[in-house]
Amino acid sequence: MAVERIDCMYEACPIPLIKALKKLENMAIGDVLIMETDHTCSIINVIDWAKKQGHDVDYAEISDGEWEIYIEKSR
Amino acid sequence: MSLYKKLFKKPWPYMVGALILAFSNIIILALTGNAWKVTNSFFYWGAYALGKLGIDVSNWYYFRVYDNSHQSGETFLINNYSVINIAVILGALMAILLASEFKLKKIKNKKQLFFGLLGGLMMGYGSRLSFGCNIGSYFSAIPSFSLHGWVFGAFMFVGTYIGTRILFRYLL
Repeated sequence: MAVERIDCMYEACPIPLIKALKKLENMAIGDVLIMETDHTCSIINVIDWAKKQGHDVDYAEISDGEWEIYIEKSR
Repeated sequence: MSLYKKLFKKPWPYMVGALILAFSNIIILALTGNAWKVTNSFFYWGAYALGKLGIDVSNWYYFRVYDNSHQSGETFLINNYSVINIAVILGALMAILLASEFKLKKIKNKKQLFFGLLGGLMMGYGSRLSFGCNIGSYFSAIPSFSLHGWVFGAFMFVGTYIGTRILFRYLL
């Protein structure tokens, strides 16, 4: 199981979502993608999208207005 | 989920947004006699700034065709379009403050700055060539039963497709 990180700080919609989509394509099932973002839309649209795709997803606020989103590629 | 969270934190359904936009546009049309436009006022602000720098813009072709010049009593800064734009900005600020999600964003790097400025310039130039943005030329045109809204819409999808491909291939 590999862990990949993408830096989406200070990026606006829809860049974080497209970056996650592109990165996940090249990952193996079971790998975890950690996405750093400060965009409130991301913790809504990236998480909705990942759930719809059937991935396991969670997020945590690491400091004021900055989040890490964890996506485990499940299929 | 609390009412506060439902109202201010979560996105509203698309249908609710569509209905609010439709009714707002009807109100704007009834009160001002013109459909909602956005970029016109930015052009006025730019022209106002150029005017202050001593460049005479009143003879520009743009102001002599159709009804792009001001109505009597309007100025570059005080006209229907500018007031609506300022209201949109204040409304958006209010919404983000009510959700307590306001944040000043830093610039990530020079690449983001460059492409942000380039994109802004191209959008501004394009919106003047087509006499409006996706509000004036698309959103306001289709309910007015004007064919140009559909033509604008078709090419907007072509442009969006090409733009997305460029973003995906070269910029990420």
